[in-house]
Amino acid sequence: MNCNHDHSDKNYSRRDFLTKTSLGLGALSLGSLMSPTDAYGNSNFLNLLDSNKQKLPHFAPKAKRVIYLFQSGAPSQLDLFDYKPKLNEMFGQEVPKSIIGEQRLTGMSAGQNSFPMAGSLFNFKQHGNSGAWMSDLMPHTAKIVDELCFIKSMHTDAINHDPAMTLIQTGSQLPGRPSIGSWLSYGLGSDNKNLPEFVVLVTKEKYGQPLYSRLWGNGFLPSEHQGVQFRAGKDAVLYLDNPPGVSSNVREEQLKSLNKLQKIQHADIGDPEILARMSQYEMAFRMQTSVPEVMDFSDEPEYIFDLYGKDSKTPGTFAANCLMARKLAEKDVKFIQLYHQGWDMHGGLPKSIGAQSRDVDQATAGLIKDLKQRGLLEDTLVIWGGEFGRTNYSQGLLKPDNYGRDHHPRCFTIFMAGAGIKKGITLGATDEFGYNITERPVHVHDFQATLMHLLGIDHEKLTFKFQGRRYRLTDVSGNVVNEILS
Amino acid sequence: MFYDLLNFLGSLHPLVVHLPIGFVLLTMIFEFFANSKSIIQNRMISLGWLFTFISSLMASLFGWFLGDNGYYFESQIDIHRWSGILFVVVCFLVWVYKSLNLPTNIFLSRFRNVVVIILLTVTGHYGGSMTHGEDYLTENLPEIIKEKLGDDYEEINTISSRSIDSLFVYEDLIHPFLEDKCMACHNDENTSGGLNMTVFELLVKGGENETGISKGNAYKSSIFNRVVMSQGNEKFMPPTGIPLSFDQTKILEWWIEEGAKLEQPITSFREDAKIQKLLLHLYKVDIREKPFLETLVLENLSENDLIYLENENFEFRFLSNKNAVLDLKFMGENITKENLKSLDKIKEHVVWLSIIDSNLSDDEMTYLSNLKNLTRLKIQKNFISNKGVVFLEGLDNLSELNLYGTRITDASFEVFSKMKGLKKLFLWKTRVTKKGVAKFAAQYPNIEVMVGY
Repeated sequence: MNCNHDHSDKNYSRRDFLTKTSLGLGALSLGSLMSPTDAYGNSNFLNLLDSNKQKLPHFAPKAKRVIYLFQSGAPSQLDLFDYKPKLNEMFGQEVPKSIIGEQRLTGMSAGQNSFPMAGSLFNFKQHGNSGAWMSDLMPHTAKIVDELCFIKSMHTDAINHDPAMTLIQTGSQLPGRPSIGSWLSYGLGSDNKNLPEFVVLVTKEKYGQPLYSRLWGNGFLPSEHQGVQFRAGKDAVLYLDNPPGVSSNVREEQLKSLNKLQKIQHADIGDPEILARMSQYEMAFRMQTSVPEVMDFSDEPEYIFDLYGKDSKTPGTFAANCLMARKLAEKDVKFIQLYHQGWDMHGGLPKSIGAQSRDVDQATAGLIKDLKQRGLLEDTLVIWGGEFGRTNYSQGLLKPDNYGRDHHPRCFTIFMAGAGIKKGITLGATDEFGYNITERPVHVHDFQATLMHLLGIDHEKLTFKFQGRRYRLTDVSGNVVNEILS
Repeated sequence: MFYDLLNFLGSLHPLVVHLPIGFVLLTMIFEFFANSKSIIQNRMISLGWLFTFISSLMASLFGWFLGDNGYYFESQIDIHRWSGILFVVVCFLVWVYKSLNLPTNIFLSRFRNVVVIILLTVTGHYGGSMTHGEDYLTENLPEIIKEKLGDDYEEINTISSRSIDSLFVYEDLIHPFLEDKCMACHNDENTSGGLNMTVFELLVKGGENETGISKGNAYKSSIFNRVVMSQGNEKFMPPTGIPLSFDQTKILEWWIEEGAKLEQPITSFREDAKIQKLLLHLYKVDIREKPFLETLVLENLSENDLIYLENENFEFRFLSNKNAVLDLKFMGENITKENLKSLDKIKEHVVWLSIIDSNLSDDEMTYLSNLKNLTRLKIQKNFISNKGVVFLEGLDNLSELNLYGTRITDASFEVFSKMKGLKKLFLWKTRVTKKGVAKFAAQYPNIEVMVGY
């Protein structure tokens, strides 16, 4: 975006001039002629550079905000949601050749002599009026299945964590694209003045596959659209507080002076990233009061903590983050992204999945219930899921009471609830071995297209021009999954 | 036998017509460059006109046979036929003139050539229209030029611009293409095969030996059967020109299968996804039920209205890029009458409104009673009692009402029961009783009442 670095001695290059006069001012006047929403909305000069943005939302949104409970490491769909009695029946037998075919496996299990099928050791039951299958690993979530929409036929292109997570978060396996939350922030702007549009909460003291801040990065979008991570503990947002000895008044004076300098700089070289930086300073100043407010749980009554589970009183747990997500949703933060690590169970799965499920089960169910009783579920979309699935065969030695599962991009299960989503349904199905999809495959891009659709965005129209071509979240693919829209 | 021969010769007409065109153009070019004093060259020119005359005579004779086989109408052929014959006559005269070597004037001969070319163009154009369809000239033009020339589909667009509630399957979708493709031969005056399609009852009755429409059975209806049979079959309709499109035959089939009712509104087939797609594709008519927001017709808001709203501490967001429908949220901690008065200017535009935890009082609720297009109202966590809720009674479009954290009691259920559009009610942390909720839920099973877990 630093478009003037190669000719800093000039005020405007020919390219800058053309971009800013024809697209900038032109788009402004054209936009106000065409649409009632434009000229007043977010009259940030930056945003006007992309005339596609002028027409947002493309249609009336169903959802105003999203809470994405990302389960990093890939939860085993075969032990949680996708009931396959055939695997128990054939426990220990080889996966039929016709099922795996020539599909690629990871380097971790491709060399195995044997691919013994591992039926889940956990009991499955049908729940609710919808009869959704769930194992007894997530008893609280099982009670609210009639609020949920399961997609059992998700599939992805990547077979390892980093590319798969990058794909589901940014639409591309290669790093460098903006995250979903950044696209939404860029496309829809802010609904609240004192908090960022895109907030990230990571469960603390969980390990496993690493998380990188680029997963919530703004990519090539202006940098004010990046996700802001709120941490548990004293400094919720790093470097937000004033340094010792600097009072709020002094800080305000400083920022005002800084602002003047930056305006001079911007007038000189016209780098839009300066504007982004200025708006971030302002946001940070407002967040000095708004963030402590939202981090403060002292107003929450005991029965709310009970709803989310006892962990919710410990800052930084998944449960506490779910409670925080609700508070942020009440403040109209547009995209709230939670990350919970630790689902990557290559070995000893039956032993570790219990505690891992307990971490998230009650809090997830509690969040959905809490949103529901406050009426927030009407305009909030909740998503629960990982980056891919896990294999039906055991990685490593299969024992009657122990197995591991390798990465499996061919099918996995996610669930959604809330705004614009049908309740109590299951979309798609896998074969009786839980390996391939037999019904209504939903690609990661389809999922992203649907998410955008619920927020009133046509995923093919929200684009950003970078390095000579226009990019979008779903890039060149993606179809809205109409079957799950209410 | 003789007629077969004539028919055969007639079918050669499109082939033979190109011969005189070539001759006449070559002759003219030759004439243009020729030395008028050279006797040999003049003889060549006169020979050229002779060839043109003979070949055009053949072409017009064959054309006459072709026109007589009954596949074309007089009205269609008229101009083509007579301009063709005029062309033959002119060529004959020119040849006579030339071969007699009568004195000539260069301007006169140029003028003559222009006339011949105009005749040729007119004849050729009308001939082409018959063989290739009337839009044969423009149909393959690049899109950009087409748009500049004015869209061919204007007629179709008049359908899409009308309200879908006023459209009928037969009158607006089927009749236009039947008129286009069939009614030239099957009308009041010209009832080929005894069929008159201009009168609906006669169309249903059919022609001499066949039923026009057998209601509910497309394949027993000759109107449908004749347009979908093999194109080689001599009963295939229309006998010349472009057959019905796939979409048109599908609509015809669907309409007959559904009983072929004259006054079938197109909206009665909302549920049929295939027809839905087809109508959208062919006519740009979307028969799906529109969300409430899209049915609203609102004036655009001025910048001043919006600045006023912002000054009164309302944050706004448009919910559509076509219509100025607003999602409003009060940002302050204490709402005042002044704040609420600002809603009056945009009372039709607000469809979503949030005044949460802002000390909204019972009396102030009166300002909400004019917001007729509200579909979602969030006024939770305010000091509202039954007295305030009464003001919401007339909000017929309101489907979602959030009153959690207010002081309302069971008495408000009477008001809720009068709200026609209500679907969801949030009453967590209010003073309603379980009994009251159960009673209301039993009476109005379509309204979801949420009172917490």
